[in-house]
Amino acid sequence: MAPVTKNDVSLYRKDVASGGRALTPAEREKLLRPYLPPPQSESNKMKSGLSATATQKRHRGHRPRLRPFLKSKLHFILFFLIQLVFGIYIRLRQIYHAILDRLLAIRHYHHRSPELILRDVQNLERIPEHLSVILKFKSEEDGGLEALMDEVAELCAWSAAAGIPLLSVYEKSGILKTYMSSLQKMVEQKLVAYFGRPPAAPILSVFAPNHPSTGSSPFPSPQTSVQSTDRHPSTVDQRQRFNLLLLSASDGRDTLVDLTRTLAEMSQTHKLNPKDITSNLINTEINATTSISGLRERDGHSVKPPGKEVDPAEPDLVIVFGPYVKLDGYPPWQIRLSEIFCVGDSGGDVSGSRSTRVEYQALLRGLWRYAGAEMRFGR
Amino acid sequence: MTSRHISHIRNWLWSSPPAEWALNQLRELLIGALRQGPVPKHVAFVMDGNRRFAKRHRIETVEGHNLGFEALAKILEVCYKSGVTHVTIYAFSIENFKRSKYEVDALMDMAKIKLKQLVEHGDLLDRYGASIRILGQRELIKPDVLEVVDQAVSMTSGNNNCVLNVCFPYTSREEITSAIRETVEEFSHPIPAEGADKERTSTFKEERIAHTIRSQQFSQHTNSDAAYTQAPGLRSPSSSTTSLSSYSQDASERDTSSVSTSTTLHPDGYSDTASPFPEPTSGVTQTSPSKGSQGHQQNSTYPSPELITPDTLSAHMYTAGDPPVDLLVRTSGVSRLSDFMLWQCHQDTQIVFLDVLWPDFDLWSFLPVLWEWQWRTIKAEQWDNDQESKEQRSERAAARKKPLKHAARTSTGIPPTRGSKVHAA
Repeated sequence: MAPVTKNDVSLYRKDVASGGRALTPAEREKLLRPYLPPPQSESNKMKSGLSATATQKRHRGHRPRLRPFLKSKLHFILFFLIQLVFGIYIRLRQIYHAILDRLLAIRHYHHRSPELILRDVQNLERIPEHLSVILKFKSEEDGGLEALMDEVAELCAWSAAAGIPLLSVYEKSGILKTYMSSLQKMVEQKLVAYFGRPPAAPILSVFAPNHPSTGSSPFPSPQTSVQSTDRHPSTVDQRQRFNLLLLSASDGRDTLVDLTRTLAEMSQTHKLNPKDITSNLINTEINATTSISGLRERDGHSVKPPGKEVDPAEPDLVIVFGPYVKLDGYPPWQIRLSEIFCVGDSGGDVSGSRSTRVEYQALLRGLWRYAGAEMRFGR
Repeated sequence: MTSRHISHIRNWLWSSPPAEWALNQLRELLIGALRQGPVPKHVAFVMDGNRRFAKRHRIETVEGHNLGFEALAKILEVCYKSGVTHVTIYAFSIENFKRSKYEVDALMDMAKIKLKQLVEHGDLLDRYGASIRILGQRELIKPDVLEVVDQAVSMTSGNNNCVLNVCFPYTSREEITSAIRETVEEFSHPIPAEGADKERTSTFKEERIAHTIRSQQFSQHTNSDAAYTQAPGLRSPSSSTTSLSSYSQDASERDTSSVSTSTTLHPDGYSDTASPFPEPTSGVTQTSPSKGSQGHQQNSTYPSPELITPDTLSAHMYTAGDPPVDLLVRTSGVSRLSDFMLWQCHQDTQIVFLDVLWPDFDLWSFLPVLWEWQWRTIKAEQWDNDQESKEQRSERAAARKKPLKHAARTSTGIPPTRGSKVHAA
């Protein structure tokens, strides 16, 4: 595979421009042949030992044996060199990013004040309607469940202050779902710490697919969401609403499998013709599990804002708190058009097995990136 | 003016024979080195940026797509040389039909011409053992293009060294939908009724088998009173007529349960060892409640929907049989999946978003991606090994501390681990 010579390139492009009519197949083959690797079948033949090639081999003596050996040694050494240098490069990159992060953290710190957060984002052209974050469960050294819940609470406060109405938190094992009520309390406390006493703090509702939400009903109409914290129903409409959705790995493939089972059962009892299964049908069902669409309609937002083809259940922005983009089982159906932002490897971890610390400036970077990215729907 | 001059000289230098030779050697060397480490088995590309490239260089959009194809050819070569066996490319999204008709037609023409040329050079392809598959909604392809597509696919279908998946009218949601649809269709075919099935195929007589089992039971439990009271017809096993009649008595019982005869036959617990008939019934738990409406098959049963697992759906995806996608590369700085390989990429795939436009994407921009993948894969393996050895160490320590517990475990019949064996001895 020599680099293609200029002459051949121009010849090839002339052929393409003419719609493949300038050259005959034979001519084209001749043009391509020098760039093709030796075919495998031929090398096999060499091994099996056609008489002609075998004698040729004998004439050359030691060369065919020594050369591949040296070559493979060279490749091996080179591989290790590259890995070594690349490892150093990644470490340096990490340090660089960590320093940058610190600087950013000094310039932009929230000081637990929603006004400051709002100032950081008010110049952005757009803010995600639905922000999603991928977190990893923390080991005991890192603080375990409590630290994770605290991070979720912080994220909620920041998002609420930035004007994001819906935050979904993905954690693979789904442990957050089992502690929903205590999580709700923690987040409420955090919101109070940021915003002040209840009339100022946004109304919080916590959801999880297939879990009856604790403390708030899955469809909080104004009457039901007035619950515990608020004693002034008249101010409800003015109060900001904030929703937290908890996701886990079981909301991904397992939910689709569950849907398939249901559909198969319906088809077996002749309630449904398999031909009627469309992506629209599946979309409706999958969105129903997160039950956010119903909520947003109630909020007075139109389900599909004009100029936007994304369903509200699909996150606009997914922030991966990890060294590189690995979705780790995130619900596949919903992530179709989501902007994916990776916080990057500013932490010490490289294998992606642990979670990067959740920090305010990381969220900010994600939001900036989102505002700068242009949206094109295949057009 | 001067910069153009310099770039001209630079181009001339790069294309001079010694430079070309050196570059070529370097390339070979780097790819060879790449092969020494772990290499992703399945790489997916979103070829984004052809149109922006064309706009930036003030050439026609179609021209940009042509250059994109050249870039693809180069990248494919790198992939297959370095040991990637499966490459999946996002050639055309269903959403792309929304583009201008001129561009869509040009793209379709391009696909047609390329595939036609491919067919013309079929023997070349065969020599390298490459096969092409088209993933996507065939019904959206125009008939004249479809004809060429089918020709190319069928011609290369026998090759199995490396695979190129071309996603052509493709969106992942449609793929998932069709996988679900096919699964549902598969599970709504009634499996043949078991009674009729056995009468046709089995050379063994159920009666005889039942009889033998009963006589075995009888001989084993001659002293047990329970055996007598449970099966009163079995007192004279030598007489075939009585045992047959007892079988027919049992048979009426059996029809009501219709799951498995073996469980009703041996109540005292060696059912799995003695079950002599082949069991097509193992997956069957559901009888159709509305079989009357569908007609003649009285005993039509369906495979249980509970048997559907994520693997079932995976097997119905377009990429069924391919190794899992290890690496997904999207060019042109857009960080979205855009409905590509959602099912395949949402777990352990490393996803990389690059700022380079697709026609500029070459070995030099791909190598860092591969190196990083290798580096992370090696690190992840090391981490896993560390965890494992840590666990083993702690397990061994635990075994040393509590020999009693392990001794108890061995006595209950769980195969002893190495650590516990030491203490048992």
